[in-house]
Amino acid sequence: MVVVIDMEKCGQIKDCPGEGLCIKLCEQGALKEVDGELVLVPENCDDCDLCIQNCPNQAISNG
Amino acid sequence: MSFVVREGKENRSLTHKNEKCVGCGICSDICPTTAIKLGPILPIARGLLKTDFITIDENSCCLCGLCASSCPFDALELDIDGTNTKEMINYPRWTHDASIDSETCIYCGRCSTACPQDAIFLHRSLPEVKELVRGETEVDQEKCIQCGVCEEMCPADAINMDRNDINSSNPSIATSVDIDESKCIFCSICKRVCPVDAIKIVCTTCMERDEIVNPEIEGDIILDEDTCVKCGWCQEVCPVDAAEVTKPFEGEIFLRDDFTCKGESCHACADVCPCNAISIVEGKSTINPSFCILCGACAKACPQQGITLKRKNMNLENVKSKAWTSRLADLLED
Repeated sequence: MVVVIDMEKCGQIKDCPGEGLCIKLCEQGALKEVDGELVLVPENCDDCDLCIQNCPNQAISNG
Repeated sequence: MSFVVREGKENRSLTHKNEKCVGCGICSDICPTTAIKLGPILPIARGLLKTDFITIDENSCCLCGLCASSCPFDALELDIDGTNTKEMINYPRWTHDASIDSETCIYCGRCSTACPQDAIFLHRSLPEVKELVRGETEVDQEKCIQCGVCEEMCPADAINMDRNDINSSNPSIATSVDIDESKCIFCSICKRVCPVDAIKIVCTTCMERDEIVNPEIEGDIILDEDTCVKCGWCQEVCPVDAAEVTKPFEGEIFLRDDFTCKGESCHACADVCPCNAISIVEGKSTINPSFCILCGACAKACPQQGITLKRKNMNLENVKSKAWTSRLADLLED
């Protein structure tokens, strides 16, 4: 099981109050920026839930 | 630093010093009006967000000072008419403490190296090598072929070759050899390796042992109370029991059995711990209770709520108000 991103809540990274905080927190490289939007790399996700806990938009969940 | 100030019959002001705050959230847990909110402590601790660990809502803060009295790090202070409540006879006082007895201290520096808050400053003066050894050296510059073998072999780094000026036609050729007697330990390695027998070394240290005074290491050790978190590292590593620490809380801390710690993927607990008490061992968070002060920052930072702490006692005395006693009891195990 990997995390799920609610793209509506997430929006563009330039608008993120944490300036893409989840990308910076994830040391597994499971979250990256592609064309200004957040993209999940499922094979890298270790389900640590750091992104879920720290997303300022509450846009990431366990599904 | 943030403030809440209100003037009335008394002038009260609450000050939060973020540089002393560790983000443990005890204040936000205990605030009776939920005026204190704990921020995202992990991104702050990792330096990804530049903001204070807590925010205080000025409108709902009732300036009671319970947060200031219960903060083990003195990151919050309540002043009433200019006097800090921690100096008032009717307010609680922490009895947690750390001290280093300078009479017993041998200035080894272990505590200073181990202290996770860099709160221990050591200054020591060591005797000079030349005060502890005796001997004579002599280099026959006529015989010396400036090969540099002695310089390379000297274990005390006491031999220097004087080389030609960098701008000369042959800068790598040395012109003479010099033994620095303030560094020389008269071991005679140079003498033994010299291919042309140009060096004479006589060691008289053993013969003159009685004349050489036994070295005494003097120094100063200072523990900065302001930054010390009473974690116990100094006490644990001190070889002569000169450091004594009383922690703010007594109790236990453990990882819940029913969750899978993500170890190196996460390490949020280790990053927020002010005591360097947590490390990731074999892919799992490992908390060393010897250094844990039960502040609870790790439990707040764990994204899976996998850390449980049970505080059995807090070293806060002189709690006179019944309401405060009951509120403070919420920090302890039921």
